[in-house]
Amino acid sequence: MRFWQKTLLVVLLLFILTLDVSVMMIMKKSWQLNMEREIQRASSEQALIANNIYENLNSIKSRGMSINDTVLLDVARSYADYYRQQGIALQLWDQGQLVYSDESDTKDMPVIRNEQADNETVHEVIITKELPTPYNHLFLTYRRDIEELYAKQAELNRYFVYINFIASPILIILLYILIRQLTKPLRLLSNTTKNIAGGNYGERVTLKNNDEFGELAQNYNRMAEAVECHVTELSAMAEAKQRIVDNLAHELRTPLTSMQGFAQYLNSANIGEEERMTASGYIWSETLRLKNLVFKLLDLSILSHQPVERTSVSVVDLFESVWRTEHNNLEMAGIKLVLQAEIDSVWGDRDLLASFLINCIENSIHASSEGSEIRFLAYEQNSTAVLEVRDFGRGMSAKQVELAFEPFYRVDNARSRVHGGAGLGLSLCRQIAEEHQATLFLESEEHIGTTIRINLQLHNNNLLTR
Amino acid sequence: MANILVVEDEKPISDLITMNLKLVGHQFFKAFNGMEMQVILEQEKVDLILLDVMLPGLDGFELMRRNRHLNVPVIFITAKDSLYDRITGFELGADDYIIKPFEILELLARINVVLRRNVQEHDGFIAEGVDVRLAARKIYKDGQLVDLTAREFELLEVLIQNRNIALSRDKLLELAWGYEFEGDTRTVDVHIRQLRKKLGWEERIKTICKLGYRLESEG
Repeated sequence: MRFWQKTLLVVLLLFILTLDVSVMMIMKKSWQLNMEREIQRASSEQALIANNIYENLNSIKSRGMSINDTVLLDVARSYADYYRQQGIALQLWDQGQLVYSDESDTKDMPVIRNEQADNETVHEVIITKELPTPYNHLFLTYRRDIEELYAKQAELNRYFVYINFIASPILIILLYILIRQLTKPLRLLSNTTKNIAGGNYGERVTLKNNDEFGELAQNYNRMAEAVECHVTELSAMAEAKQRIVDNLAHELRTPLTSMQGFAQYLNSANIGEEERMTASGYIWSETLRLKNLVFKLLDLSILSHQPVERTSVSVVDLFESVWRTEHNNLEMAGIKLVLQAEIDSVWGDRDLLASFLINCIENSIHASSEGSEIRFLAYEQNSTAVLEVRDFGRGMSAKQVELAFEPFYRVDNARSRVHGGAGLGLSLCRQIAEEHQATLFLESEEHIGTTIRINLQLHNNNLLTR
Repeated sequence: MANILVVEDEKPISDLITMNLKLVGHQFFKAFNGMEMQVILEQEKVDLILLDVMLPGLDGFELMRRNRHLNVPVIFITAKDSLYDRITGFELGADDYIIKPFEILELLARINVVLRRNVQEHDGFIAEGVDVRLAARKIYKDGQLVDLTAREFELLEVLIQNRNIALSRDKLLELAWGYEFEGDTRTVDVHIRQLRKKLGWEERIKTICKLGYRLESEG
């Protein structure tokens, strides 16, 4: 059973029950009051008639006439005749003996104060009371028909049933409209939930109510937003992962294909000296490329498994070891490397930092044109040591900067491969920064240049705080 | 033989493919990206495109989409071997899909299949007075029709299509006899001997030590 159906049924039942019970109680009270009034009226009329008879008898007595049954009968009849017109029947009893009666079928004298007679067909008020002394051996019975009261009550009952028949359908319709209106936000929420569950994560509840439903809708939207955010994040991560796997496959398969193909070519083809040289040259260069890739991958893997050994590293030493590795490349490319050191040393792993700088400088060499320079800066900023490599080369677009740290991402495929790059340099740099708990900044603007900066500890901060 | 356009941004792979195409007597064009590919397609008559999927700029799928109207058969060469990529490739109308690393013989075999399917005229091969007409399956030596068995002809066809490349006896069995054939590799020797005798190609079909046989030609 639906919620609105339950609500409708329960409210309807409760309402009708309450209404009917109260109406019935009111009707019962009114019946009681009416009845009391009738009895009151009957008893006062009886008293009046009894008093009249008493006075009548007194005056007869004062005229010296004895009061016998005939006199009593006369008196009673004269009153009875008069009151019959008003629908009142009288009986006179003398010590239990009937003296006069309107009706022929009267048997025993009723009990002294019988207030109302209720049998199936006749409804009447009957009051029997003795006359004042000295006639207290005489009893006057007063009977009045109250059929009209019962008819009125029956009419009232019928009317009550009619009203029930008319009011209930109206109530049902009004309740239906009201409840459907009230549960509308629920249906809206339910539909939206269904849509979101169906994968439409951008869906929101459009509910502007200022009540609990509005609050629910707001919270619900907040939840949907969080879910959407996470789902987008997850799919972006899955995409990035897929890209990395694709790229790794590409990076491994391409040199392997060349090596295998050229080896086969050398082995089985009918070729001259020139082709032999080309083929073996490719096998050589592709082997180097694969070696480079494997070592970079190994570096990355070792980095994430080995703790770094931090010492105080002299900036000049660092510069010299970078220079030793790169001066051939720099000379070939016709690029100057300039050192600008404002601090003497930084706190870190010597080899890792050298590797970091070599990777950055190699990238810079590839990006720079002949005759330009690369600056290696070391300075203090907010009590951290900053190592910075700045070039004035081609730079990268914002989108390229965003992807730059992803493994195997290359800004320029063809050129980078010529240099034997594996596309892992910046991934390695990021890993090194993470191992040092250092922050890494990459700023770049196309045709202006690129700056990469790592914020390291100046000294061993742990020692200072201890 | 056929004009083949090789679109591949990796110079080693591009050279590997074209050097082998040259060996078996195909003409080739090299393109290292989509733009170069478009230029060549406009200027030259191309029978087949070997198309790398991961190219700088527009990728192979997109290039395929743009050149579908030319009705030039395409073989994708790629390192991406997910089912989704393969299906995308075939849905775009590729004739074949080769995954790196591939074997050169496999590549040549697939190229031949696609060419046979798409190019109506079959090429011939002429050397030392022997005229081999592959389409008609007829061989003339000094104007005289040479009688070859069906198996000998298959073997000759394989040797011609992979000329200048040494083929092992196993490979020859596989290519000329089919995968199911469970014969001795000496069967190959017998048939090669027959071919040499019938065509007078004692020197042309060379025995390569420890490898197999190679049909040699100058161009």
